[in-house]
Amino acid sequence: MPTTIPIPRPSAAPQPTAAPDSLLEFRNIRVVYDNAIEAVRDVSIAVPEGGIVALLGSNGAGKSTLLKAMSGILYTEEGVIESGSIRFRGEDVHHLAPDELVRRGIVQVPEGRRVFASLTIEENLQMGGYTRSNAAARERRDKVFALFPRLHERRDQIAGYMSGGEQQMLAIGRALMTDPKLLALDEPSLGLAPLIIDRIYEVIVRLRDELKMTVLLVEQNAQRALDIADYGYILETGRVVLDGTARKLAANEDVQEFYLGVSSSGRKSLRDVKHYKRRKRWLS
Amino acid sequence: MQYFLQLLISGLAIGAIYGLIAMGFAVIYKSTGLVNFAQGEMTMITAYIAWTISTTVSGNVFVVAIGAILAAILLGLIIERVVMRPMLGEPVFATVMVTIGLAVILRSAINFIWDAYPHGLDVGMGRDIVRLGGIGVRTGQVAVIATLLTLLAAIWAFFRYSKIGVAMRAVAADDRTALLMGISATRVHALAWAASSVIAGIGGVFFALSYDLSPAMFQLGLKAFPATILGGLDAVLGSGIGGLLIGITENLAGGYVSSGMKEVAGFLMIIVVLMIRPFGIFGERDIERV
Repeated sequence: MPTTIPIPRPSAAPQPTAAPDSLLEFRNIRVVYDNAIEAVRDVSIAVPEGGIVALLGSNGAGKSTLLKAMSGILYTEEGVIESGSIRFRGEDVHHLAPDELVRRGIVQVPEGRRVFASLTIEENLQMGGYTRSNAAARERRDKVFALFPRLHERRDQIAGYMSGGEQQMLAIGRALMTDPKLLALDEPSLGLAPLIIDRIYEVIVRLRDELKMTVLLVEQNAQRALDIADYGYILETGRVVLDGTARKLAANEDVQEFYLGVSSSGRKSLRDVKHYKRRKRWLS
Repeated sequence: MQYFLQLLISGLAIGAIYGLIAMGFAVIYKSTGLVNFAQGEMTMITAYIAWTISTTVSGNVFVVAIGAILAAILLGLIIERVVMRPMLGEPVFATVMVTIGLAVILRSAINFIWDAYPHGLDVGMGRDIVRLGGIGVRTGQVAVIATLLTLLAAIWAFFRYSKIGVAMRAVAADDRTALLMGISATRVHALAWAASSVIAGIGGVFFALSYDLSPAMFQLGLKAFPATILGGLDAVLGSGIGGLLIGITENLAGGYVSSGMKEVAGFLMIIVVLMIRPFGIFGERDIERV
């Protein structure tokens, strides 16, 4: 008796995901500016819920480009996601408009803080809550003031006249006003005094531990970032060259040498650098 | 004294019209960073539409006012959507050139749609003369000054207290960061164009009411632009007051020095003021500290 053999259809099988529990995921992302400059090539990054993921690398490595892709603002700089996808809570989001991404809970604190200089602190926070109802925004504002009492003290001041550290706090507070699930910070330590950086980092840790927020931390300052992060990626010229738990990365010889500035053997010869570059190619 | 007051009042009245159009310039500059060189032409179109309504639909002052406001909103939205939005992200210079092109097109549209003859807008009021402390003033002149003052107060409150008003300032301060906060720049820009068109359009209708309606009316834009420079390009309220200052200066110079001075006086004042305050009287200096 002839029986029909059921042919499994490829689409019927569930696609295995690299990390099923990640809140945000970049999958094989390739970003090109002006149809010419490839800023990010084939990068995959997973940000699991409730953790801090550090994204490290020097200038021009493509860190900020990834964040711009995440927030949907690449188009303002003639940038395009050529291939790959960005997934948030299991859905493709890389085609969404910036305001829709904010409504879904993705927000970033841009590099250089970028507070609205001519607006007061309170108005800056109000703008952070733009996508939320007035009642929800007021409630968020009180939470932000509780987190940063300094902002409450100076609520009627013009933001442009505050110090760098205060502006960074305002920029973080403004982002928190959107009620984010994922908070990305682009170089929060840039241009700040070490003591101020300590305080900013304390806040980031509190956001994870007390508010259960997921944080994507982009930094050049690898030491600081690896201190508080759970997992890290190292980006060089648009590729991930290394990733691992923060502890593993901090213990890695190359990371120590090139990002943490720890050197055991004094001067380095060019040969060692070449060796590192070879290794990098291997790793990527 | 009588003569002086007469000059002052009529200077305030024409200045209020300059001020309204100047505020139109400032609203667009403040939220989009652009100088709209078609402002005078947009004003003229709104005034012509008001005239058409008054001659075809009804000469009732409320019908004309509401019709003109709706038409101005529509005009602003259409220009933003069709002409300005495709230019988003292009260099400012190119975008400003587009507004100059738009100005020429709107100017000739007057001749296509209407005609080249002067008309008078008549809504049954505005031309009566009332006596105020011994001097004769037309009710239309009183109305335009009152309108300007009311709008100044309303706009001040709008930018200070309303969420969308603050958002317009945020977009002006840093449009990319505004995007990151979920503020849709296109919506803010559309609102700015509509608001600017209405405010300037009101000025145009008052001008048609007190003087006349002709295809040369776009020159009001050329008079109002210095007013907004004087008050500060980014200062909406300052632009309104700048309009009043220019109107008064013009009229006093025309009345006391010579009628030839009338055209020049406003510009002379601007040159002097800008030498002392390059940002305009009420313009904000860029906040240097970063």
